[in-house]
Amino acid sequence: MVHSFANLQRNKHCLRWWYLIAASVSLCWIAHGQVVKAADAPSFTRDIKGILSNRCIRCHGPDAEDRHGGGEHGLRLDTFAGATEDLGGYAAIVPGDAEASELVIRITDTDADLVMPPPEAGDPLSPHEVDLLRRWITAGAEYEPHWAYVPISRPNLPAVVQEDWPRNPIDQFILARLEDEGLQPSPEADRVTLARRLALDLTGLPISPEAADAFVADAAPNAVERLVDRLLTHPGYGEHMARGWLDLARYADSAGYADDPPRTIWAYRDWVIRAFDTNMPFDAFTIKQLAGDLLSEASLDDKIATAFHRNTLTNNEGGTIDEEFRTVAVVDRVSTTLSTWMGTTMACAQCHDHKYDPLTQKEFFGIYAIFNNTADADRRDESPLLTVPWEPVEAKRRPLEKQLAEIIEAVPEMQRATPKQQLQPAGEPPELRPLREHADRLRKRLAGIKPVTVPVMSELRGAKRRITKLQYRGNWQDLGPVVEETTPAVFPQPVLADGQRLDRLALARWLVSPANPLTARVVVNRLWERLFGIGIVSTSEEFGSQGELPSHPALLDWLASELIANGWDIQAIQRLIVTSATYRQSSKPTADLLARDPENRLLACGPRVRLSAEVIRDQALAAAGLLSGKKGGPSVHPPQPDLGLKAAFGQGIDWKTSTGEDRYRRAIYTTWRRSNPYPAMATFDAPNREVCTIRRPRTNTPLQALVTLNDPAFIEAAQGLARRMVREAGPTASQRAGRGLRLVLTRHPRPEELTRLVQLYEESIAEFMADAKAAKAMATDPLGPLPDDLLNHYGGDVTQATAALAAWTVVGNVLLNLDETFMCP
Amino acid sequence: MNPLVEQKLIATRRHLLGSMAGGIGAVALADLLAGDTAGATTPVPSLADPLAMRPPQFAPRAKRMIVIHLTGSPPNLDLYDHKPELLRRDGEDCPAETIAGKKFAFTSGTPKLLGTRRQWKRCGESGMELSDAIPHLHRVADKLCLVRSVHTDQFNHAPAELLVYTGSPRAGRPSLGSWVTYGLGSENANLPGFVVLISSGVQPNGGTSSFGSGFLPSVYQGVQCRSKGDPVLFVSNPPGMDRQLRRKSLDALNDLNQLQAQELGNPETVTRIAQYELAYRMQASVPEVMDISRESKQTLEAYGATPGGSSLANNCLLARRLVEEGVRFVHLFDWGWDFHGTSPDTGIGDGLVQKGATFDRPAAALIEDLEQRGLLEDTLVLCTGEFGRTPFREGRTSKSKILGRDHYPDCYSVWMAGGGVKPGLIYGATDELGFKVAENPVHIHDLQATLLHLLGFDHTKLTYRFQGRDFRLTDVHGDVVHDLLT
Repeated sequence: MVHSFANLQRNKHCLRWWYLIAASVSLCWIAHGQVVKAADAPSFTRDIKGILSNRCIRCHGPDAEDRHGGGEHGLRLDTFAGATEDLGGYAAIVPGDAEASELVIRITDTDADLVMPPPEAGDPLSPHEVDLLRRWITAGAEYEPHWAYVPISRPNLPAVVQEDWPRNPIDQFILARLEDEGLQPSPEADRVTLARRLALDLTGLPISPEAADAFVADAAPNAVERLVDRLLTHPGYGEHMARGWLDLARYADSAGYADDPPRTIWAYRDWVIRAFDTNMPFDAFTIKQLAGDLLSEASLDDKIATAFHRNTLTNNEGGTIDEEFRTVAVVDRVSTTLSTWMGTTMACAQCHDHKYDPLTQKEFFGIYAIFNNTADADRRDESPLLTVPWEPVEAKRRPLEKQLAEIIEAVPEMQRATPKQQLQPAGEPPELRPLREHADRLRKRLAGIKPVTVPVMSELRGAKRRITKLQYRGNWQDLGPVVEETTPAVFPQPVLADGQRLDRLALARWLVSPANPLTARVVVNRLWERLFGIGIVSTSEEFGSQGELPSHPALLDWLASELIANGWDIQAIQRLIVTSATYRQSSKPTADLLARDPENRLLACGPRVRLSAEVIRDQALAAAGLLSGKKGGPSVHPPQPDLGLKAAFGQGIDWKTSTGEDRYRRAIYTTWRRSNPYPAMATFDAPNREVCTIRRPRTNTPLQALVTLNDPAFIEAAQGLARRMVREAGPTASQRAGRGLRLVLTRHPRPEELTRLVQLYEESIAEFMADAKAAKAMATDPLGPLPDDLLNHYGGDVTQATAALAAWTVVGNVLLNLDETFMCP
Repeated sequence: MNPLVEQKLIATRRHLLGSMAGGIGAVALADLLAGDTAGATTPVPSLADPLAMRPPQFAPRAKRMIVIHLTGSPPNLDLYDHKPELLRRDGEDCPAETIAGKKFAFTSGTPKLLGTRRQWKRCGESGMELSDAIPHLHRVADKLCLVRSVHTDQFNHAPAELLVYTGSPRAGRPSLGSWVTYGLGSENANLPGFVVLISSGVQPNGGTSSFGSGFLPSVYQGVQCRSKGDPVLFVSNPPGMDRQLRRKSLDALNDLNQLQAQELGNPETVTRIAQYELAYRMQASVPEVMDISRESKQTLEAYGATPGGSSLANNCLLARRLVEEGVRFVHLFDWGWDFHGTSPDTGIGDGLVQKGATFDRPAAALIEDLEQRGLLEDTLVLCTGEFGRTPFREGRTSKSKILGRDHYPDCYSVWMAGGGVKPGLIYGATDELGFKVAENPVHIHDLQATLLHLLGFDHTKLTYRFQGRDFRLTDVHGDVVHDLLT
């Protein structure tokens, strides 16, 4: 299913899909466990709020500074009280009397000077919108609180007719809606397809044909559950999950801005991978990243986790004022925290009260105050830094430390370091001088071994604490009144012990408190989005008034309540989703369904989602048998073309390609330089990670085709794949082509596919037999010479073997470029 | 009368009067109104072909655009804005009021005024005064629209450059080129719609963000074309594969994808087949358009371009070749304009003359070449840095023999040419020492609004919904400077 241009295709009413679906008769809004059939009276949440939000609230909303019309404080249409306020004998909304409501008069006025919204703000409301507003006012103009701010309750499961279809509660919600729509779910996908889907979704790696075959042959009723458990404990799971989180954390291996110097912060990346691998509960995962340093008896790992918010940019350009860019980093921390945990865009409240949601500028700086007291300050040295033990470094230190210890054990005086500018401490016997020189050399060498560090959060104490003031228009030099630490008033407030400060730790606990209406909804929605390509709330970055309504509100709430009830167990939610009948459906839509629900929001068929940049690369290397399984450590430099450029005021941007297995590591370990993202990844929509990215677009462009057709890294993969085809299959061309297809797509080939691949092989080998130089290049550049065992498949005939492997490389290149290869099936 | 209605009427009248006073001409107002009645909104790119040509919101003055960015920011007071009074008072302390409360990147205390060391000439019928560091531009002065009153908010390179090209000093927003390509699509599907060319060996200050797509789909990001290696990354077939074999392999790929399309009936498969065909055509058209050796000797000479080399001259010539082939937006970045005086090549003496010579000849040739080919009338050319430079000596180099200027945001000069801007116009002015805008200030957001207007867009309506908000290049600011328009 394609969602890449969902944003573009959406018209200015963000609820268009809802109306499309509403075109069928039986639309329902499912809330708080009740199924409510759409009656004549429009629903505020479903029908009215979007109109007000998109067309009226900008000038008649929460922002008091920029509120137009009405009485003394301006007209507010986002609250019942504001909309019905007596304006001197008339009111914008008169509940029950549409024709007496000034709002209705103004939206239907034909005078360009009077009509609302004013012409410069856009088109007049459509007749349909006017009709909805009229009928809503006639029915009493009932306002409802914003759905995402309503406390999460556990909805009852809706009744369904086809009781034998659901496998778990998720299916109950999906099926109830399908039955309302008169749609049938699709049949279950075949086992091989399911195996590839599960493996790519949970580990970001393809499953081997053999493992898939074993799964197909597994007759146990819980075969799917068993495969899922194997995949959740697969070493690739944490790396795959971390990829998504690192987009939110804006993790990169450089500091940003013009010179964009390298930053050593990979220990944080490895922490995230370990956290997912060990299925750390999401509440602990949250608290450690935002405030691990403030935990009592904080461990080294807890402190490493706080590097989450040290991924902000540092401006090292000459002539910058550190305080300016420190404040920029703090603003980013506020925005990133609210986006990541609460799906709430608060960036606009940096400069003014939010235009659409009840969030004030003062409240923005209330959260700013919480983040405003860490020791980092846009310094070039990135301090404060934490030293992290790292085996290769320890291995260098160990023999030196051992020698030094032996010396000290033998001659305890050597414990004392040599005083500066002296050869020996006063009074030490001269015969100890050679030993002392040796000890000094050891100490010097030890000091010269650069430790691995990670930038961390460290709270300022006492007199060093900063006082936060409101910044007018977000200008760090234009300061207003002092602002205390607060969380926005619209949400339940954090519970603090007497005298306890609302610090980062209290904020983190507040985010994952069961009373927080947003975090659990936001988190399960992202988990859903990862698997189905589009969230239950399609605007996974925006749960405020300007976001879209959930397609299945009760399902979202059920999953959110389940996440809280299960102790924030992420894997448990994933297991529920991927073992559901909904997820297991075939992703082959009927033409009718494609026309009716092109985005597959109703889920009458399974997901078909384009793989991420990272998975596209990892999959190719895995199919080629080249992928390294090495986990963690410093970021690596896979091959990339030299650009011959320097960063502004900085170093060259080209790098020395890593050697050995580091050339073939998973994409998550590729050095992420913000000013110069790895080209193959940037082309496949990976962000540059300068800011928090909640959702990547998924485009389909000719430049992507050039990457997977011609990038030497993908050619190398095609060469590796070619060698596996020859090594691992029977001797016929058809067998080899079939093996290649299975290594990439897992499924068995269809006869016509084999015929076409063999035809390409034959066309190619004919050319390569006539051009030995081309054959050699195609078969070996850059992977390297053909090993003897491959030559033996061709009776030691180098010409024949080279031409054949070159031709199989062409076939492999095609296999790695199939549409199906890029899609999670 | 209903007070609501009354208030609105007054507001409307005030709005109209205010706009008139601000200088909105009748034509432009008609444009705005026409835009409204036509329901002008951002055109919606199609899923299958996001770069397909789309009409602008109203009749454009320019159909394509070339930006020459002088990375580091040239000293406007030594190129475009002659200040005799500053020269007369050269070496004096800066008047206190000019620096009070201000922060500078590399200067503190009371710096000394620095008059220009250049000779100046009134050029063309317009009498535009230009310095001797850019002699070739003298002959095209009557084609330039010189704005001496641009001002910005930023005085560090990266944030200032991001402000010029993304409307925000912080990372994450789409760049001008990506907005334009998003709005208009591309005229030639076989070439990228938005091309970036970098000379003098260094990236823009904002890295790829200065030509990135921000939250717009990545298909709108600038594609960097290079003079060495593949002109576009991965456009060449791998060693050992000729174009004929690539064709055969694509035929096989298409056949297999067709089978898949029949099997699944998913429209994205069909889109992907089309993208591969486009890629194949791009493999031929990109090297062709990037090959300047196909140009006549006179043309190469006029630009000072050298086939096989890498220079701003080559890139100016390439820019013409690219727009001629229908590329929508060409963005040139040339490093080396940060004239602090920290080394001879960044001094406003010989350093500026030498650097100027690498720029003025190709820039003048580009304008003349576009004009000769009938392209200038609907191609907009903009030449700018990210900010201005101080009328005083930079602090670090104040005792040096080499004269240099610090970063300065409060006023500077940019020029435009072609598509819809008044030729030979000198707009705005700075005060007698070059510290402040004295008349007709043009903020960066006003400049952006004007550029979009020329390309056929109301800058308040070229929007993209992201995180629940309709974002635009000019954020919540910007007024079209109608006085600049023909």
